[in-house]
Amino acid sequence: MAAAAAAAARGCERVWRRAWWRGAADAFPAPARAVACNARGGAAPAGESGLASWVPVVGLEIHVQISSNSKLFSGSQVQFAAPPNSLVSFFDASLPGTLPVLNRRCVEAAVMTGLALNCSINKKSLFDRKHYFYADLPAGYQITQQRVPIAVNGSLSYSLCIDNKMSQMVTKTVRIKQIQLEQDSGKSLHDDARSQTLVDLNRAGVGLMEVVTEPDMCCGEEAAAAVRELQLILQTLGSSQAIMAEGQLRVDANVSVHHPGEPYGVRTEVKNINSVRFLAKAVDYEIQRQIEELENGGTILNETRSFDSKLGCTVPMRDKEGKQDYRFMPEPNLPPLILYDAKSLPVNMNHQQVVNIDWIRERLPDLPSVKRAKLVELYGILPEHSFTLLNEDGLAEYFENVIKQTQMKPKKVIGWILNDLLSYLKQHALTVKDSPVSSFLLADLLNLLERREISSSAAKQVLEELWKGEGKTPLKIVKEKKLELIQDQKELEQICQSVIDRQEDEVMAIKVGNQKVLNKLIGLVQRATRGRSNPVLVKQILEKKLSE
Amino acid sequence: MLDHLEHLALVDFRNVEGVERLQKAIQFADQLHEVDTEGVEPMDSVLEDRCLYLREDDVTEGNCTKELLKNAREKIEEYFVAPPGNIPLPKLEERETFLQRS
Amino acid sequence: MLRASLREVSAALKEGRVTPTELCQRCLSLIKSTSFLNAYVTVAEETALKQAEESEKRYRRGQPLGVLDGIPIAVKDNFNTAGIETTCASNMLKGYISPYNATVVQKLLDQGAVLLGKTNLDEFAMGSGSTDGIFGPVRNPWSYSRQYKEKTPPKSSSENEESDWVITGGSSGGSAAAVSSFTCFAALGSDTGGSTRNPAAHCGVVGLKPTYGLISRHGLIPLVNSMDVPGILTRCVDDAAVVLGSLAGHDPKDATTIQDTFKPFELPNLIDVRKLCIGIPKEYHAPGLSSEILALWSKAADLFKDAGAKVIEVSLPHTCYSIVCYHVLCTAEVASNMARFDGLEYGHRADMNKSTESMYAATRREGFNDVVRGRILSGNYFLLKQNYENYFIKAQKVRRLIANDFVKVFGSGVDILLTPTTLSDAVPYMEFIKEDNRTRSAQDDILTQAANMAGLPAISIPTALSKRGLPVGLQFIGHSFQEKQLLTVAKWFEKQIKFPMIQLEEVKRHDCSVFQHQKSVSFL
Repeated sequence: MAAAAAAAARGCERVWRRAWWRGAADAFPAPARAVACNARGGAAPAGESGLASWVPVVGLEIHVQISSNSKLFSGSQVQFAAPPNSLVSFFDASLPGTLPVLNRRCVEAAVMTGLALNCSINKKSLFDRKHYFYADLPAGYQITQQRVPIAVNGSLSYSLCIDNKMSQMVTKTVRIKQIQLEQDSGKSLHDDARSQTLVDLNRAGVGLMEVVTEPDMCCGEEAAAAVRELQLILQTLGSSQAIMAEGQLRVDANVSVHHPGEPYGVRTEVKNINSVRFLAKAVDYEIQRQIEELENGGTILNETRSFDSKLGCTVPMRDKEGKQDYRFMPEPNLPPLILYDAKSLPVNMNHQQVVNIDWIRERLPDLPSVKRAKLVELYGILPEHSFTLLNEDGLAEYFENVIKQTQMKPKKVIGWILNDLLSYLKQHALTVKDSPVSSFLLADLLNLLERREISSSAAKQVLEELWKGEGKTPLKIVKEKKLELIQDQKELEQICQSVIDRQEDEVMAIKVGNQKVLNKLIGLVQRATRGRSNPVLVKQILEKKLSE
Repeated sequence: MLDHLEHLALVDFRNVEGVERLQKAIQFADQLHEVDTEGVEPMDSVLEDRCLYLREDDVTEGNCTKELLKNAREKIEEYFVAPPGNIPLPKLEERETFLQRS
Repeated sequence: MLRASLREVSAALKEGRVTPTELCQRCLSLIKSTSFLNAYVTVAEETALKQAEESEKRYRRGQPLGVLDGIPIAVKDNFNTAGIETTCASNMLKGYISPYNATVVQKLLDQGAVLLGKTNLDEFAMGSGSTDGIFGPVRNPWSYSRQYKEKTPPKSSSENEESDWVITGGSSGGSAAAVSSFTCFAALGSDTGGSTRNPAAHCGVVGLKPTYGLISRHGLIPLVNSMDVPGILTRCVDDAAVVLGSLAGHDPKDATTIQDTFKPFELPNLIDVRKLCIGIPKEYHAPGLSSEILALWSKAADLFKDAGAKVIEVSLPHTCYSIVCYHVLCTAEVASNMARFDGLEYGHRADMNKSTESMYAATRREGFNDVVRGRILSGNYFLLKQNYENYFIKAQKVRRLIANDFVKVFGSGVDILLTPTTLSDAVPYMEFIKEDNRTRSAQDDILTQAANMAGLPAISIPTALSKRGLPVGLQFIGHSFQEKQLLTVAKWFEKQIKFPMIQLEEVKRHDCSVFQHQKSVSFL
């Protein structure tokens, strides 16, 4: 099939899937209109109708708020929630005569991010003014990096699973075109009733990194997986908190479709996407919309569309972008930003004025991909588990702390972490940090299990108690609830015997060779002992007694 | 052209006087084309060879809401106030015709 | 006392011959009696007296802050002054009270200077006459001098002398007039294309435009950010050096100030010019240069030659394009810089609430004069995508050629360039306003603009009186950041020429005590 071939050539096979990282607990409904998300794979659903199929092309522009104390060009504070216009300097309010002074931290964050995304860092980058009138843009222009951005030509590798199977993951790469430093705008609150706009400049001038990707993705899942990986990288670097809900990471998607072998189609830009889930939805919707539009003989306009998360669709928005001429001009108040490396480092320069690329490179933390590989190698866990571990902030550290304090094998520990801890946290919408059970307590509990002092079902009961966070140790709970394994062989034999005596049918079944029924007997013994029996031992006793 | 320019410049200068000024300004600027600039790099600033000064990431400003709002003609609580902007398309057209009238 | 130099009056303060309050009061009363000059747009009487009082306490304690303590100064009204209106002579900022001081203002105040008030200018410093602001034109004090009146009798008896007054040049005309009429000892101007040197030449005072990057622009409301420099207007070169020393140096609020430390300097009294190489750029023999200025220029060159300096003719071939280049770069930056004036956060706001855009457009129509609006419009035109390469980038390339001309000449061993500052002496207001603002600026900035393109330090020195009895200045242009050499040469020149002191007749009637016997030695 031509479509499949074309899609495969683009590395785009069978990708209309829920990404692995959403996790089992995430009951995310399939996109209502994700027709393209079909089981046949390939890029589009056109096969049946006999029409040539479509190749979707997706590129992203990601605005990332830099995590810093103060703004990009002024000394006012960066904070998510504060009284209106309290985090505003004279410069932020564009008072005449004020000048921009670049924040070193923002430069370093951009360099770090650039290095983590395999970019080449420009030793000399430039700032430009981009002009447009808007109530929350007090100067009438935004300072950005249009001509020479701080970092260019990078790449971002991300993984996603095929056919919704955690075990079938593929790694893909999207090229990063550039990363540029720029100012955030303020916020406008539209008061339609009184027909006015309230302007809060607290956000005006906060440092942004705009990460621009090449159009290397072909569906919502890929876009979402790439953004999720970027989010993890940013959080690992600390260059941004990258919380989408707080607007620290904002994604605009450029979407177009074309027939294989033909030039790219007219693209639309989809804005107002405020979660990774909605990104997948918005992109898939837009691809489908464009295909339908074109197949019905329509044309695609080069326009900006807004994603309506309630309706799950994109709608055209007032297009200040398309018709605008931004009249870019060099920012005359900021000479070129010069960065150094070990070789070019000037000898007698104030070290506070030097940003050394090599110094930053040497201090980069392990990136998520490296960390995952290390977890797999060190602890022998499955690759998909390593993804889950990194996906929750602090979970990998929690896991490693438990490992340090327990004799239990990592492969067994991971089950407790992913099945018990994680699902509990998700159920109660808690972060790892807020977990009522510390890694120390969990390790303590697992040690009891490992030393065969309790059964695993008893361990689960202890865990239930531990969630209450009453400060009891696992051992105390075991004692209180009398959950210790029955160590007395004779007592256990008696219990086994009484079970055998009451289950004649089952005993018969086993005797004629149906060994599976043995498990039922083991279960009955467990119930009789309220989980306090060692199943291995019980099995031995039962087998011995039944063979007698 | 002037409409487009006015839309970008917002100085309400689309009268004869404005047109004349613009024409003269362009005419004057056209003398630039007498100069041979083959192979010449544009010059932004005389400080192009100097390194940009960097500020430490310290909070040194802000918390001056009252001072800032003092100079604003219209405000509500701690907000600056603008007439409606970013209004849906039909209204936008109204505004355009409005602007043309004024 | 008021006609003394800054250094002289500083010595008088130190010795207790006069107190800061007395000095301040005398200046304030002279400002009142010369108010017809329209040099000041705001007189900060109350705060000035308070500052003088503080200064007086310091002197009494024997702990003055330095040379500037108690010295009355004036500041062009495009520098922000906390608590004192900053208008840029525009309706847009009428009544605007900045919450902060420009760095240069703060530095002056920190050193005890007494800020008398804000001086008049062209709206947003766009002009070369100090005639195009909302407060009306500034009158050149020399219009009321005995020297002018003797040499230029009224055209006819029926015409009153009102129509004969000449302009100050601009755009820092208010500051130049203030220093020239003895209402302050030093004043700040700004210089983007000659706005400090031009009025200095016309008003017979020293006008220094320092190297770009030496003095902070923080708080100076910009015209062209890449060329603007705070300018210094004083009665003599030594005073300019004092003020420069108090202002220069890196400002963490202005990333375009250089980080090298600046050492204030005093100029030597004995100056040897024999090792100097003075360049005379032939292109400054521009069309329209008056014959008497040409003669003056060549006499000045001879003066150096006679003193043993090497004087050579040099060429700055792209000089004639500096005005057209400036025209494009200036309007483009103006279009950008003025975008912030929309009535939302500060300044004038039109009563128009249909939409943000309509409010902005009405505000800007009402707030800016035609000169400003015209520049905004053409600047936007040059920045349009389809014109950017053809005009803006082209102008930036020409700018490099102009700057390179200087690099070549200075690289060939020339220390200082000597040129005229203006094409002629000041013209009467009635004549000046016949031409439009752009044409006039093109004429008037022609000899000063190139130094701004290249960021070089330049100074205009009052040299002689013209046939009409009006001051004429010559300009020295130095190497970047070589202010000491520039001022040293300028001081030597100043000493040789003995420029006459203004004899203000009009004021004499008001305040005889101020202007005593004047010495008058003409260089011509």
